[in-house]
Amino acid sequence: MSLNANIPLGPLTDKWDQHRFKLKLVNPANKRKYDILVVGTGLAGASAAASLAELGYNVKAFTYHDSPRRAHSIAAQGGINAAKNYTNEGDSIWRLFYDTIKGGDFRSREANVYRLAQVSNNIIDQCTAQGVPFAREYGGLLANRSFGGAQVSRTFYARGQTGQQLLIGAYSAMMRQVALGKVELLTRREMLDVVVSNGRAQGIVVRNMVTGELETYAGHAVLLCTGGYGNVFYLSTNAMNCNVTATYRAYRRGAYFANPCFTQIHPTCIPVHGTYQSKLTLMSESLRNDGRVWVPKQAGDKRAPSEIPESERDYYLERKYPSFGNLVPRDVASRNAKEQCDMGKGVGETGLAVYLDFRDAIQRDGRDTIEKKYGNLFQMYEKITADNPYEMPMMIYPAVHYTMGGLWVDYNLMSSVDGLFVLGEANFSDHGANRLGASALMQGLADGYFVIPYTIGGYLNTVSWDPVTAEGPAFSQTVKEVDEKIQRLLSVNGTRTVDDFHRELGLIMWDYCGMSRKDEGLEKARGMIQDLREEFWNDVRVPGADRDLNQSLEKAGRVADFLEFSELMIIDALQRRESCGGHFNEGFQTEENEALRDDENFSHVAAWEFAGDGAEPVFHKEPLVFENVELATRSYK
Amino acid sequence: MTKTINITLKIWRQKGPEAKGRLETANAANISTDMSFLEMLDVVNEKLTVDGKEPIAFESDCREGICGSCGCVVNGEAHGPEKGTSLCQLHMRHFNDGDTIVIEPWRARAFPIIKDLIVDRAALDDLIRAGGYISVNTGSAPDANTLPVPQRDAELAFDAAACIGCGACIAACPNASAMLFVGAKVSHMALLPQGRPEAAKRALSMVGKMDDLAFGNCSNHKECEAVCPKEISITNIARLNREYIKAGFGSAEK
Amino acid sequence: MNWLTQTLGSAIGKKLLMAITGLSFIGFLAAHLAGNLTIYGGKDAFNSYAEHLHALGPLLTVAELGLLTFALIHVLTGALLFYQNWRARPTRYAVDRSSGGRSIGSRTMPYTGVIILAFVIFHLINFSFVDKRHITIFELVASAFQNPLYVVAYVAAMVVVALHVSHGFWSLFQTLGANHPKYMPAITIIGLGLSLVFAIGFGFIPVYILFIA
Repeated sequence: MSLNANIPLGPLTDKWDQHRFKLKLVNPANKRKYDILVVGTGLAGASAAASLAELGYNVKAFTYHDSPRRAHSIAAQGGINAAKNYTNEGDSIWRLFYDTIKGGDFRSREANVYRLAQVSNNIIDQCTAQGVPFAREYGGLLANRSFGGAQVSRTFYARGQTGQQLLIGAYSAMMRQVALGKVELLTRREMLDVVVSNGRAQGIVVRNMVTGELETYAGHAVLLCTGGYGNVFYLSTNAMNCNVTATYRAYRRGAYFANPCFTQIHPTCIPVHGTYQSKLTLMSESLRNDGRVWVPKQAGDKRAPSEIPESERDYYLERKYPSFGNLVPRDVASRNAKEQCDMGKGVGETGLAVYLDFRDAIQRDGRDTIEKKYGNLFQMYEKITADNPYEMPMMIYPAVHYTMGGLWVDYNLMSSVDGLFVLGEANFSDHGANRLGASALMQGLADGYFVIPYTIGGYLNTVSWDPVTAEGPAFSQTVKEVDEKIQRLLSVNGTRTVDDFHRELGLIMWDYCGMSRKDEGLEKARGMIQDLREEFWNDVRVPGADRDLNQSLEKAGRVADFLEFSELMIIDALQRRESCGGHFNEGFQTEENEALRDDENFSHVAAWEFAGDGAEPVFHKEPLVFENVELATRSYK
Repeated sequence: MTKTINITLKIWRQKGPEAKGRLETANAANISTDMSFLEMLDVVNEKLTVDGKEPIAFESDCREGICGSCGCVVNGEAHGPEKGTSLCQLHMRHFNDGDTIVIEPWRARAFPIIKDLIVDRAALDDLIRAGGYISVNTGSAPDANTLPVPQRDAELAFDAAACIGCGACIAACPNASAMLFVGAKVSHMALLPQGRPEAAKRALSMVGKMDDLAFGNCSNHKECEAVCPKEISITNIARLNREYIKAGFGSAEK
Repeated sequence: MNWLTQTLGSAIGKKLLMAITGLSFIGFLAAHLAGNLTIYGGKDAFNSYAEHLHALGPLLTVAELGLLTFALIHVLTGALLFYQNWRARPTRYAVDRSSGGRSIGSRTMPYTGVIILAFVIFHLINFSFVDKRHITIFELVASAFQNPLYVVAYVAAMVVVALHVSHGFWSLFQTLGANHPKYMPAITIIGLGLSLVFAIGFGFIPVYILFIA
């Protein structure tokens, strides 16, 4: 199969309009004849389910949570970008498009990103109409703030809980359709496989997490809105249950996986403090607006921060990047923190942390001002660490946060399997090699509210609306395979727990495929993963039964997939002989240790096709064509 | 300062919805005081698994106090002893060496137990389905700035909308009433001009649903407000009452 | 009228009934207390107050019937609420600790309610359903409170009333939707003040008669 992204012809600014015009419409009377399965109910899934049901399609929405409102979109803090230009600073769709392309280190599609910027404004309108309580000015109009190093204030926000409010908006829109009978909500169902036959997605196999029964559902189209795979690192800012299973299973059924090595490490997280730790907590990036990042000049200096005089502190970001200082983009800030800690200058008990100091800001603006700006964040920090950031500098360290890679999709958000669409963080489409702040929410909602409702019609016009049933050999075979895997997991009865394996895998990935990568390290990690995978299948202990609520079994299935998927990440990282955005290979850097892109040879999307267990995945290249922007080197000096 | 403590747990174990449950004792040894409460349970579960026993089933996801998945009654208090803190954000430094901690699931007729500490909170979705939304189809929204909202109203609406749907208010209410949950949703939407057209219908329908679902009635004990991890105020219940009275007696809505 | 029963029969409707009837009882208590205070004016003042009251004739009967109706509503609705609330949690907690919301008043509402009901019946038997053709009301009261057991019972009952009002007063405003950041603190204080006034105002009368008058 050739990799055709189906990007419409014509000038960039007209592509989406022209495309929508050319897409055949489904007659309203026929829409009710189509069944659509939406897997995942975060921002992308809930918004898609609601919008498609409003159009008249029959939607079944699946979530592994007890309620759609628990999806991890809820944890997004900062905000959502839109090119409204309410602040009159000269923002425009074009500027948002350019910033996003540049922020992604020129590894995303122009057409997709432009469309994203175009619909960004509709998202704000839609959410406001749904009752999302965005921050407002005294006059009652919407407030904006600057975010993630952008030069204009284009971020809409609802205190530090923007993701929560947007998700509740999408969730309530979907619940309205549930009440109207257009969406059937199936909670506590985990998708374990996609049923593909005749080259088309026909349905899914899910496990009822309460009874343990395997259930099958058929649809004319399947939408995967299942989020990112950051938990391959075990410790990340992702929620405990985030996993790669849905997308990885789809990959094994023929959907290509694109750019899996592009992972985003967020610089301001609360450092790891013990082996028992289950997850990492993000502190909003906005803290870098006033906090100063530093480490002691002397490696191994174990004095309390207050005892280290000014002359013995190294404000390394300000020193190295005088014009951006503490506000350099996420990837740069993260890498520099790691570099300092690798030199032995890290602070705290583990030596894996740097200071984020508000002393000067408090002296300059007064404690009240700082409290007003960051009070809730300081409180959260104190709750977790028991340290008071007003009196002693915060300690921060980078942590895995977002995955830009995901299933490959064309302009219509359809994967390489017909009828299998992928939305939100689960696809690879809009963020290139690095995502800018406040644009994940934007993409999830753009896909669900304003892209899929049109593009799915184009596909459905090509398939019959005859009723579909979850019967036939493809379904029974897939169920059999899913069941076999479950039985295998339960029968090993070894000595090590699932978490134990996951933790070890996470460490391997963090050490060798994390913030900075080396060819030797990647090769070594690949071997380690293969060994660990073998050990897992020989020595994992999964207690409990299959036909029961069994959280160990749920985790085991996910970790088994991570153990395979992680190798694909390594393969992808090895293939990309350059450094860009979230992928930093030490072999490709400038003299000043900055990422060195190779636009001539690697300005492409790497899409991987599953070729069978034990076989090397097949590499497909989608060249990226830049007709509207000039490829430039990112510099923050 | 980090130290380690030993704790005795008395945990509700129940194999399934119909099974008879009971409090079982487990030991949590060498628990770092920097651990979160749920990480302490993780450690206990790892030990149980290695010992060939079935780990304790409990729910959690984001572990940063926003998804609302987690929640148990700890020593008689929903989400434990810390104010404005969900269970995942409760840290072991608030306990002492040698403590005995009793952990029970949310208890309410509307929240049947599924297994151990996991309860079925589908009733909360049912409540939202009854009217916790503003009817606006995708694409039909006017420009966001055409409808100014006084900053104070937006802030109050946010305070109510901050609800994470964990169910602690119901668990802590001596009557297992859902008034704070419903009050928060009705307030969130009643305070915004976008929510006004359906305000009467929403209030009647959500309150009606609340009765159907076998929640108790509000006696103004204020326990809900005291345990709410987002510290949602009972002024939202008063607003619900107002909205309901207006809807019941003043509107044509039935 | 389906809408009316539906509205009043809901969780909020029932509370509304409790609030409105409760408010009327508080009004009644205030009026009753004002009348009772004439006892400090001596025998004649008190008897004359009673005479004036009875001179209202049919008006008084209407008021009494009204109170009776309200009492029935309050008691029956209260009983229904108690039953529903009890049913809403079939399994109790092994450990039940307040996180700081409940007060003694709120905790004991149904129980103080039952005691008050019993007391009202007792009180009516004592002073209302008696043949008053050959005795003035003052004599009736004075003789009753010569018995220290009566005094203790009445004082105790008034403490119970105070407890009931201490939660009932602010709570009825909350139920009526009148919770405002500017006024709620005052309402709470007035509620506590009122319960003290009722406890002391009513409670001191038997003591006064036993020891002083």
